[in-house]
Amino acid sequence: MKGTAMAGDTPPIDARGPGAGDPLLVVDDVSVRFDTPQGPVTAVDRMSFDVRPGEFISVIGPSGCGKSTLFNVIGGLLDCSAGRVTVGGATVRGPHPSIGMVFQEESTFPWRTVIDNVAFPLEVRGVPKAERLDRARQTIALVGLAGFEQRFPSELSGGMRQRVSIARTLVFQPGILLMDEPFAALDEQTRLLLGDKVLQIQQDLKQTTLLITHSITEAVQLSDRIVVMTYRPGKLKRIVRIELPRPRTSDVVSSPAFGHYVAQIWGDLREEASRGMAESETAGRSP
Amino acid sequence: MAETGVLKPPGVLGRLGPVGRLRLVIIAAVLLSWEALAASGLLFRDVVPSLHRVAFALVRLLASGEFWSNAAVTALEVAGALAIGGTAGVAVGLLLGGSRFAERAFEPYLNYLGPTPKIIFFPVMIMGFGVGWGSKIAMGALSSFFPVALSTAAGRRGVDRVLVRVGRSFHLTPWQMVTKIYLPAIRVPVLNGLRLGFGVSVIGVLLAETKLSNQGLGYLVMQAYSRFDMPQMYAALIVVFAAAVALNAFIERFTVPRGRRT
Repeated sequence: MKGTAMAGDTPPIDARGPGAGDPLLVVDDVSVRFDTPQGPVTAVDRMSFDVRPGEFISVIGPSGCGKSTLFNVIGGLLDCSAGRVTVGGATVRGPHPSIGMVFQEESTFPWRTVIDNVAFPLEVRGVPKAERLDRARQTIALVGLAGFEQRFPSELSGGMRQRVSIARTLVFQPGILLMDEPFAALDEQTRLLLGDKVLQIQQDLKQTTLLITHSITEAVQLSDRIVVMTYRPGKLKRIVRIELPRPRTSDVVSSPAFGHYVAQIWGDLREEASRGMAESETAGRSP
Repeated sequence: MAETGVLKPPGVLGRLGPVGRLRLVIIAAVLLSWEALAASGLLFRDVVPSLHRVAFALVRLLASGEFWSNAAVTALEVAGALAIGGTAGVAVGLLLGGSRFAERAFEPYLNYLGPTPKIIFFPVMIMGFGVGWGSKIAMGALSSFFPVALSTAAGRRGVDRVLVRVGRSFHLTPWQMVTKIYLPAIRVPVLNGLRLGFGVSVIGVLLAETKLSNQGLGYLVMQAYSRFDMPQMYAALIVVFAAAVALNAFIERFTVPRGRRT
């Protein structure tokens, strides 16, 4: 087992609010190269940014920009070719105990009930049964699934299953919540409502969060800062600070400032996305 | 629920529904035709004995100590065969399913040998394990090995990759990966394989007993046949059939996938 420290050894959140204090997570000059039959491919090229305690950061980029690769590197599931990722000053090698990952794919355990899914990380850490069920119940209520504890994932909608996945990660109180397009498979309305849920959770828990997404509205709705990536190789294009007031809800999407941010980020992304589209068309395959 | 306007509560037949009623009609029709055929005298002597004679023979059979000792022999042979074939099948299936190389190298042979009637190996088994229970267990084990191995391999390959990543992200130990992720994920295909394996091991054992043996239910059937005691032969067949259906239903209870994905 890599790392014996549990979540909770992360620095306390600075009293000055989100974004203040020393960075919790630093992505420092990270590059990832793959060897493919067509030769080496650079998926991520010298990315650098940081995440401060209590902050909500989104990483956004066109399809094929290496977002998911970056997610796996930060989560410790993939080694980077150059650079490093640090959490609380220590370099990440393998999955870090204070990073909680939520995957893009459907990832609930179909053979476990909702409560047994959510209690899973506590179970494997040897938390006594009564305590873990208690904490699981609280976290299930937090994501708005109270009353569904004894259901199996197959009995829930896609949005509810994704909330189970989020609860399963939140239950062990990770210092950083790392999510890879958790709402990608859901419809627009469900996404907005789940965005509300995430905003509320983040405000309740002061949860430091790093969200990988390709949805501009989702990124603007949720984030304190947005890291914009370029199309292949994925480089840092710009970091946009979102000064929308908090607490927010999905109502924010109708404000003029929201529209301004969306337009600004779309301006950045458009040329990258169209470059990606042109490249995949000439290559005759979709990225 | 009954529709509105129903005046009296439905009886037993009504509760069965149309499918259940049709099934009853089919059974009744078969039994009636059987009885009619037996009474007609069209067929040679006892090829189709009348139902009451089969029923008497069944009672006689179940009352005899000879039947129970032979049934016990067959049951033990099947149990032994499934234990050996099932264990080997699960082990080989896990290896095949876990390695792309092993799959490509070995699985074609399993796919070719799987549907081959195993009875062709019976002479070899007799030479290897004798005419007693040893060769019967060997036949049953050989029969059950293939479906269990193939089903386990498919199940192992079908384990969702993302669940493995979830396990890694939660720092599972290798042992926890096996017990908390892999085993629950392949439970249903393995049990399905065991169910198929059970069926074919019963076939393998009984077939071997009818070919060459000195005890067991297959032996009993052939004994009745050689005496041309058709009622007793049918009685023995009914017992075998009923036992197979009951055991199959028992195993099936464990293979209903809990919380299947929609």
